[in-house]
This record gives sequence, C-alpha cells and structure tokens, in this order.
Amino acid sequence: MTAAREQIVDAMDIESFVLCESEKEAKELIAQLMHSMGLARHVIVSLDFNGPGAHFRVRAYMNKPGDHYTWLRK
Amino acid sequence: MKILLAPLDPVHDAGLKLIKRKLEALGYPCVLLPPDITVEEIGEAALKEKVEMIFVGRTVGYGVEQLFQRVKEVLTRQGVLGKIRVAIGGMAVNDELAKNLGFEGGYGPHTRIEEIHALIERNPELARHVTHPVKEKPEFPFPHDYRVIIPETLKYLDQIVDGIMDWTADKTSPGVRRAQITESQLRAVKGSVETYTALPFTRDYLTQCDQSVADFFQKNVCPPSARQITQDEVAAYLRRIDIAKKYFHPRVLQHDRKTPLVFIQYGTGCPMMDGMHIKVVESWGADGVLHFDPAWGARTEGLMDGFLTNAEDGTPVTYANLSLIKRSLDQATLWTVRAHRGLNTPEIIVLAGFLGADMTKINIGYGSICGGTDPARLTVDGVEAIRIAVRHGMPFDIPTNEELAGVPPHKAFAGMLIMAQLGRRLGAKPILKPLLCHGPHIMVQGLMDQNYVDYNFAKIRALQTIADFPIWPGEPIGFMTHDEEKVKSAATTALHAAMCASLGVDAITTASTDEAFSRGPITSAGRAAALHGIKETFRFFGETDIAPSPRVKGWTEQLIQDINRTLKAVAAAPSFVDALYAGLLGNKEDGVYPGRGGKNSVVTATAAKKSGHWIVNSIAVRKKPVRAKSSRPAALASRRCR
Repeated sequence: MTAAREQIVDAMDIESFVLCESEKEAKELIAQLMHSMGLARHVIVSLDFNGPGAHFRVRAYMNKPGDHYTWLRK
Repeated sequence: MKILLAPLDPVHDAGLKLIKRKLEALGYPCVLLPPDITVEEIGEAALKEKVEMIFVGRTVGYGVEQLFQRVKEVLTRQGVLGKIRVAIGGMAVNDELAKNLGFEGGYGPHTRIEEIHALIERNPELARHVTHPVKEKPEFPFPHDYRVIIPETLKYLDQIVDGIMDWTADKTSPGVRRAQITESQLRAVKGSVETYTALPFTRDYLTQCDQSVADFFQKNVCPPSARQITQDEVAAYLRRIDIAKKYFHPRVLQHDRKTPLVFIQYGTGCPMMDGMHIKVVESWGADGVLHFDPAWGARTEGLMDGFLTNAEDGTPVTYANLSLIKRSLDQATLWTVRAHRGLNTPEIIVLAGFLGADMTKINIGYGSICGGTDPARLTVDGVEAIRIAVRHGMPFDIPTNEELAGVPPHKAFAGMLIMAQLGRRLGAKPILKPLLCHGPHIMVQGLMDQNYVDYNFAKIRALQTIADFPIWPGEPIGFMTHDEEKVKSAATTALHAAMCASLGVDAITTASTDEAFSRGPITSAGRAAALHGIKETFRFFGETDIAPSPRVKGWTEQLIQDINRTLKAVAAAPSFVDALYAGLLGNKEDGVYPGRGGKNSVVTATAAKKSGHWIVNSIAVRKKPVRAKSSRPAALASRRCR
C-alpha cells in the first residue's frame, strides 16, 4: 500500500461512465477495473445503466471501523 | 490610500468592479481603468493618478504566469514596481503565485473583501474572522416557553403525565440501580476518566448485569464484533486529532437565516473513526453531532468499559469511549448522546452528564414499541433518565422514528408530546423531534405522491399549533427519500434542509450521501458532500421561504384532531404502560409491538429495600478478574484487569 492510500480516512470512491451493453457487463468491467488497480475490497455504491452505458460509483475501503487504521501508523 | 484597479482582459472586469464597490464602501478612493488596455497604459495611469497601490486583474486563466511575468518587467522598467505596491488577481491566481512572481499579494475567485482589505493595510488581523473563523457554541435549545397551547391537548397530557408519575413513584429497576451506582462512583472520583476506569467493579453492579457483561469484565470476552483499542492506537489517534485541530477553520452553513442548526449522527462502530468523521463534519460546517450506540448495547443489561471498537454500526457506550469523543470535539460543537431506547438508558445519561454532553435523547414510547424494551421497564427507566438529565442540565430530544416501522405520525407525535410534557413536569427542556420521512404510512396513504413538501409542512405546522417547544426534525431529515446515487442523495437532504429553514425549526439532523447505501460503512467524503449541498441550498434560498400548497391546512387540522384523539384514548387507559401494551401509540397493525427486553425486571421500591439489590441473572463474581493476555489494551480499558 502506498503512503497516499494510508492517509485515506475510510474509503476511496471512483465515479465514471463506462460504455457497455448491460448492467451485468458494467459490473464485470467495474470489477476488472478495481482489480487492475489492486483495490480488491470494493463495492458498487450506485450503478445506473441506460443508453450508451452505465454511470457508476464504486468504493474501495481502505479502513473500515474496527480495523487497525493505516492513518494511525507512524 | 488611492487605489488603481486595472483589468488585463479585453472584456471581463466584473471582479474589479465588485472590488471597487466594496473598497469605496470601506473609504478607499479608487480609479477603475477600462478593459482592453496595455500593461504600459496601466503603469502610466498609476503614475498620473498618483495611486499608492495597483490591483491588476486577469480573468482568463491560461498563460497567466507568463502574462504577469511581463507585467512585472514592464512596471519595473517604468519605475512603478518598487515605488507603488502591486497586487494581482484572477481565476488562476492565488497569493502563493503572486508572491513567487514578486508581487505584494494575490487574490482569486474565493478571496473575500476582508482579505483584500488586510492586504491593503498589511494587517492580517483585519481578515482573521474570515480566514480563521471561530464558532461559538450556541445556547441551545433556543428560547421557547414550552407551553401547550390547545387546552384539550393540555388536559389529556396532564392526565397522562399524572398517571406516569403515580405509576412510577414506587418502582425501580436494575437499570436505575446501575445508574445510581455509576453516578455515585463518578461523583466520588469527580468524573475523572482515569480514576473511574481504574476502579474495581462492585459486586452490586455486576449482579445487575447480563452474563455477557459479566463475561467481559471477568473473562475478557468481548461481543463478537467488538475489540479493545490498544494504548498505541489511542496515543496515535490523539496526535491525529491535535493535527486536525491545528488546521481547523470551521465553515458556517447558514446564510442569512441563523437557523436551523445542522447536526449529524455518528456511530461508525469505532470512537476513533467517529472522531475523524466528527472533525470532517465540524470543518465542513456541522453545528452538532449525535452519538449512536449499537443495538446490542441497548438490549444488554449493563455497560462495558474501556476503549472499545465495534466492526458494525453503533459505537459502544463506555465512559472511556465517550471521553475520547469528547476530547475530539471542537469547543463550539453541540454534543448529544443517545440513550433513549434500551436497558441502559439512565446509566448512559449519567456517563454523558459527567462528561459534559450538551443533550441526550429519551423516548419511552419509541423505545417500548420499536426499540425492543419492555414498556413497564422503559417507563420506570425513562422517568429516572429525565431526572438525571435535569440534574446534569441536559435538555433531551424525543425522536419519533417509529414512523419508519409504519406508525402513523399522529400516534408518534402523541407519544412525543407525552414525553415533552413529562419532561416539563420534571423540570427538563424537551425538544420535539418529528421525523421528516417518506415512511410506510405516508407511502401507503399516498400523502407524498405529489411532493415531499406539503405533508412535512403539515406535520410541523401541527406541532407548532399545539405547543411552543423547540422543534428539531430528524433523524435524519428526508429518511427514505435518499438514493444510493450521491448527487440525488445530497440534493434530497439539502432540499429538506431548505424546507426546514422555511418552517422556522430550531435544528435538523442530516444524513450523509451514503444514507441509502447499506453494503458498507458511511464515509467521511459522503458526510462532507451532504454538507456542501446544504450550504449551497441555504445560500440559494437565503431568507426566501418555500411555499406549500393549500392542502397543508386540511392535513394540519386532521393531524391535530388525530393527535388529540390518540391522547384521549391513552388518558382513558388504566395507565400509560397499559396504553403502550395495548398498542394505543402503535400496534402490530402499524408494524410495531411491545418490546420484551427487561420484561418483569421492574420491582417496587419497598421490595428493593428488603433485598438491597435486584438480581437479573445469577452470575459468579470473581474478586480478582483475569488479566488480558494477547492484547495490550489501552490503559483506560484496564478496569477489569486490576
């Protein structure tokens, strides 16, 4: 994990628009995107498929309540 | 001091015109040059007009550094720079860039006139109130006369409250007993967190607790989702909080109106994560915060102790956890600790009171029919809780979230008004907390099919007609109108906030943009986003009111009639507790039922005196609890390890 990631309080959201032909395809592309960035602990917050693709927000948790927070490390 | 204002754009000079108007209002003579001039003409005009300072503005952002480099060269060649002070400004300019280029200062689109004034006078103190604002904690609740205006309503409320006082007069409970023990201990140690947490547990306290709490103290067994926070974590957290406080410049959400105050509820599960979220919302303008505890904490007899973090919603109430939150708060932030619905209601208020919480939350009706606590038990505990709140000078709010289960507003409001009148009788300052929601009853009846405005207006207008109590819609406003999509969620919260401003309420509790998102914890960014939306909406409407449709009048009258009809039925019941069991404030048809937590635990005071204490569960008490092995809990979590 990079130093920048360690300073994120809880989660990092990525919002974008992905071209696709179904909601299912959108989810697959989003999962692929997040894994490619090394953000395995992620969840789709919102996804709205229509016309050319899907407007989405996906969230990668860096620190969840109860974790040993990265921002408390020296 | 005469000032020259010079636009370096072909057409745009609105910014400098605005600055001119404001500087002239401060008494500075200004000369504004027309647009479409050369740098050389600026220098010549400055010398001719004998000004002492020049503001050069450039709206267009691209190439701005090179342009101002040339301005510097020309003004230097003309003998202007060095003789006359020069500041620069524009969309892509800030103070850092200006100083790097050798100018006296810079101003951008968000620079306020106070900062420009401070620049002119070379006196940062002139702008300190905007660059480093200090919020003062408001006197809250705001003044009200706490009078029930409608005689019929007052008659029923007084009958019901008389009955509650009589019914509870000779009754007590394990929750009351624990509160007495804790209050006595805290008084003995003058509220010191360290000393209190180091005290050995008394047998008397443990005999009033459930087995899970006894296991925590005697066997180091935490609830499944909880763990102790280590000393190192606490120390590192406090360093983080100190840094946050160092750079803290609170924003103000309200615009022309000074109300409503804006509260957020926290309870991520962890006091340290809560603290970070609190620092975020304080910075982004929230006026107050509310502590939410986990559901299991409300259904368990007894409180645990030390620094505890929970991996699920709701942050455990312990004296150490609350003290950590307290240390995180800004001096201006109003702090409420929820206590209203469970088996530890009186004791939580004791802890909150000793830590100086500003307010608490108590609602016997909600906790009994929607919170899982036995009505008899919560009536006894609720009355004692109000008395404790009064002793500690804490107003309490009365939430009506039973609407979320399907209880019609008039029943929820009747219960709320009973609590309010009970509070007044006991010397408290109760706060009405109607839920502004698209709840089940409203959905089924189609009351918000046209809009979200009218019926909410009717609810607040009904309360304002019945009595003059502080009104603080929550919890949060707009419940069940939110969407997982962030902008929609921020918009609905912000619009409900604007509606509440129109209604003249005292405060509101607002959601983050994660309100409708249930697959993970709420995020700090979601909290900031919602507050951005509220601030912009307050700015947009200013003092302009939202006007509801004429249907509000009929709905308001109907609600008042229904509230009085409900109160009449409760007043006619054998007792308030019987009314709760009978479902007069919400029944199975509405989606709620009497809770079972603490059932049969109420005892009469005379019985209690004979036995000395009340046995809830039979538990063995070790005099010397076991020491923690694997973890290194924070010092304040070591109460059971002594």
